[in-house]
Amino acid sequence: MSGLQVDTINHISIEVSDLKRSEDFYHHLLGFEPLGRDLWPDSGPSVSFRTVQGQFLILSENPSLGSLPETGAHQAYTTARSNRDAIAKKFKQWGIEIHSYREDRPAESADNFYFCDPDGNRIQLVASNGQSAGEGNVQGIDHAAVEVVDLEWAEDFYINILGLPVDHRVGWSTADYARAKRWGEGKEDMAPGTRRWDQLYTENRRRVPRANSQVFIQFGNAVLGLFLATKHRQEPPEEQAVGSPRVAFRTSRRVLDDVAKLLEEHRKPFQGPVDHPASAPIESSLYFKDPGGNFLELAVPR
Amino acid sequence: MAEVESLSHSGICVHDLKEAEEFYCQVLGARQNTRVNFNTDDAMRGRSVHGSVVLEDYLLALVVAHDYMPMPPEDQHRGAHGIRHAFRVSRARFGKTLDALRERSIPFEGPVDHPEKGPFGQSIYFKDPSGNFLEILWRRDEGQKYQKPTVLDVG
Repeated sequence: MSGLQVDTINHISIEVSDLKRSEDFYHHLLGFEPLGRDLWPDSGPSVSFRTVQGQFLILSENPSLGSLPETGAHQAYTTARSNRDAIAKKFKQWGIEIHSYREDRPAESADNFYFCDPDGNRIQLVASNGQSAGEGNVQGIDHAAVEVVDLEWAEDFYINILGLPVDHRVGWSTADYARAKRWGEGKEDMAPGTRRWDQLYTENRRRVPRANSQVFIQFGNAVLGLFLATKHRQEPPEEQAVGSPRVAFRTSRRVLDDVAKLLEEHRKPFQGPVDHPASAPIESSLYFKDPGGNFLELAVPR
Repeated sequence: MAEVESLSHSGICVHDLKEAEEFYCQVLGARQNTRVNFNTDDAMRGRSVHGSVVLEDYLLALVVAHDYMPMPPEDQHRGAHGIRHAFRVSRARFGKTLDALRERSIPFEGPVDHPEKGPFGQSIYFKDPSGNFLEILWRRDEGQKYQKPTVLDVG
């Protein structure tokens, strides 16, 4: 296989504890167009939204969702640079705290800000030079980021098996560690998950600031960031292929069939391709996981 | 006295692990070995951040330097910037090694001829992207097998 052919992120599915509360947040604050309740396949009780650029966000209800840990995992949307002030004003009115950080990845280094939804799902807005999507609204999905427990396994999966190109790496160079030192000295404010304190097992267990390793994988014109998890968290059972949170990429039916074959060859669990009823906003899906237990999907649009 | 048998491996510092891995694998034909502190367990233990490559049976650990190292002058290809590693190739492959460096526009000094009575034939000298000095040579005695000298229990 000469590399997975995908266009972009088709949708992101995240978990929220209260559908109504989060529906208001994403609709009124970010300007997403609600499509309705419970219409997204394999998502249970949910709300679906369409972005201006035709990508989707699905909020799946999980009433027992606990507090989310502060990690590198997040979802990022693009917004017109000219809209930044209007968005900041709106956030202030809503009493939502905004954080701006220095970024490692050049594509995100300009104007950016981070905030959390009512459940603690981290959201990033990346400034773009594109057309405004209405005052204070976002345009579309820019990237998503997930945690993995082993970057070598992740590389083997995304780069060697799926054949996807690398957009950017963090944590591989002296430049990254020199910057991490500045963070350790309190001179640079960096986004959660991008830096960490390591306690050396030699040298009297001295604590050192380090870049937390990351690899950004290119999926068409979107990017998936893989952040090294600094703790082990519960992974889904081996046989579970569908779940949330989940990142889905837009592609063709032929690719779904090819990837299903490929995953079978490499003995990776998957489900599908599944054809959805005519009422669903997407035609078919293939569900699988990466080696970090992150739920992934390839989706064919209608 | 410790009776050491041979050199097992070396650790060198590099400025960019990915760049170094590619250099040693693509230019010198090394095999990529493990990476350390690119998984959660290593991070939790605070292990050093490094990778390693294997050249035949020799392991070179590539440690990411946490501070910028002084770089030797760009036009200096021969030296010992703290250390120099010299790798042996067969006389037959020596020319191909030069071609591989030229193809990738990696500057080198040499081939330099060594004295005819000595064990070394010719050497070339160059650097990796982080300024570590390297040498590749062929040996005149490459066909010979080495044996530990027999110590006769006399006297």
